[in-house]
Amino acid sequence: MGEFINFLTNNLADFWTYTGFANATTGHLIMILVGLFFIYLAVAKEFEPMLLIPIGFGILIGNIPFNTEAGLNVGIYEEGSVLNILYQGVTSGWYPPLIFLGIGAMTDFSALISNPKLLLVGAAAQFGIFGAYMIAMAIGFEPSQAGAIAIIGGADGPTAIFLSSKLAPNLMGAIAVSAYSYMALVPVIQPPIMRLLTTKKERLMRMPTPRKVSHTEKVIFPIVGLLLTCFLVPSGLPLLGMLFFGNLLKESGVTRRLAETARGPLIDTITILLGVTVGASTQASEFLTIDSILIFGLGALSFVIATTSGVLFVKLFNLILPKHKRINPLIGNAGVSAVPDSARISQTVGLEYDPTNYLLMHAMGPNVAGVIGSAVAAGILLGFLM
Amino acid sequence: MVHRVFTPLPCGGAGGGSFLLILILSLASLTSCNNQENETSKVVLNEALSLNKGNFQDDYGVHNAWIEVFNKSYGTVDIAGYKLAVYNGIGDTVFYNVPKGDVLTKIKPRQHALFWADGEPNRGTFHTTCTLDTARVNWVGLYDNGGKLIDQIEVPVLEADHSYARINDANPEWVVKGGDEASSYVTPSTNNMTIEKNEKQEKFALHDASGIGMAITAMLVVFSGLIILYVSFRLLGLGMQSKKSTETSKTETMTENQPVAKAEGKEGEVYAAIAMALHEEMNNVHDQESGVLTITRRTSAWNAKHLMLRK
Repeated sequence: MGEFINFLTNNLADFWTYTGFANATTGHLIMILVGLFFIYLAVAKEFEPMLLIPIGFGILIGNIPFNTEAGLNVGIYEEGSVLNILYQGVTSGWYPPLIFLGIGAMTDFSALISNPKLLLVGAAAQFGIFGAYMIAMAIGFEPSQAGAIAIIGGADGPTAIFLSSKLAPNLMGAIAVSAYSYMALVPVIQPPIMRLLTTKKERLMRMPTPRKVSHTEKVIFPIVGLLLTCFLVPSGLPLLGMLFFGNLLKESGVTRRLAETARGPLIDTITILLGVTVGASTQASEFLTIDSILIFGLGALSFVIATTSGVLFVKLFNLILPKHKRINPLIGNAGVSAVPDSARISQTVGLEYDPTNYLLMHAMGPNVAGVIGSAVAAGILLGFLM
Repeated sequence: MVHRVFTPLPCGGAGGGSFLLILILSLASLTSCNNQENETSKVVLNEALSLNKGNFQDDYGVHNAWIEVFNKSYGTVDIAGYKLAVYNGIGDTVFYNVPKGDVLTKIKPRQHALFWADGEPNRGTFHTTCTLDTARVNWVGLYDNGGKLIDQIEVPVLEADHSYARINDANPEWVVKGGDEASSYVTPSTNNMTIEKNEKQEKFALHDASGIGMAITAMLVVFSGLIILYVSFRLLGLGMQSKKSTETSKTETMTENQPVAKAEGKEGEVYAAIAMALHEEMNNVHDQESGVLTITRRTSAWNAKHLMLRK
């Protein structure tokens, strides 16, 4: 009997070693709190819930402590585990282009086509990427790591994941979480900078109504856009190719079902998989490092630089534009390609000063230009540093 | 040192027939004979060693001559059915058909396969019928599974344990290797040149430690790209607008003869009437239904309460 009790006790003790309670570390608990905070932001504050819920829950999944030496084959970093298989879409970089396909299929480029000079605002905001690159280099990161971190300033989650998976796979979790966090915090980060850099007169500036864009122009846009940008930066092909392809599906008018699939079920499916696996990749042992903290700091800086450069560029640009064609500097922030959040910020801040001045349509121009610009920037970094 | 090729195989030839046939055959033979290395071929000859005294051993523990091929593409290539050919000026060209059905003949992207030129094909897939003459120049050819010559090389007479190799994998330049320097190692089944660092990154780390160079270059490229797009769409927009204004002026010219347009001072009423007519028309079309079904209950003999069985 005593032997049997001993056997039971040993069994239970053995079982205890497999439980999360026995394997929990402070790191796990911190990361679980981070995951809960993300879920709180999504549910209570409605900050990017489509991203923060999957990522937040993914962080919980990734930080359930278990005995890593038991060979349970459940961890995201254990080859052959289910999570590892799903994570391969991130590591091999095929989720981001599919997300871009959906973005292309849901984006209306009319504002940009009707007023193409807004493309330049989108280009100016990319300085956030290269400003952060310089700071990262100064801190002591390797060029490839600096490039991967800097892309956070592009405010484009899929682009950040795509580039970091190629240039600095070991930093990908921190970069992705940082990029999505700051995208969710765009309503907090951008308005103070916009107010600081503009005068009241500038904020009240009205822009002419954009002209109506013909169907032909809309169909030509993705084709010419692909050819011009990818001939210049072929390394941006996976992202730009899928973005423009998705847009052609939308604008051709004859592939409605395909466009609806791309902007509906497909992008939803990939967003779920991407979000949850990126979240799960933040396993405390891999994630809680000094580098992650630095990456978060650099991410915030890159957003600030991008917003600042976008707004300042518009102010400079206005100096050479005729009076009736001037641009409201409040749409400069929209060059940060968090679609459509940063454009929405332009609208919200603009309405605070003039409730009849609707800037959303104008801000969508630099916003979508920012998507193209950040994909081009990613291509450049990949071409230079890969 | 770029290799010179001699042609041990009969290339083309004009054995009678029409002039056209001769011309076509000659052109075809010229093409195949001059095609020193097919640029589009995915697999190339990469290194060869003819006199093996203390170099790489085969799986039988024997030092034999070897020929290395390299898959220069970024996809797996199955070389089953390919042919290796060796000719050293004596006798016929010896061919070796790479057997089918062996998974090892699938060469992964940017990887190598090593063939033993030992004349012992019964020892395995990678042991060939060919041998390399240590005292003569050896011509080595590689044919794809369609019988097309995709690469060829003349291996010069080499010292013991020296190889004739591309300076780097798939590089067009060939050199003799076998010295003590790292760049001169004989490298069977491995990269001809070991890359220990990422040159691009080293370059940036060395010359652009602050990142300013990268920032300027990249911003120039981003701006150039988007300026090109801007110019294209500006021109396109202008073109579309001018086309539209031409069409509008045509319409205006046509409507000038219409009685409606002549009713000066009554445009507002005319437009209101058109708008009203359109409104009526649009409402009658029923493009979008409300989706609400309304059932009006009517009493009939079928649902009269007094005819129900229930009380």
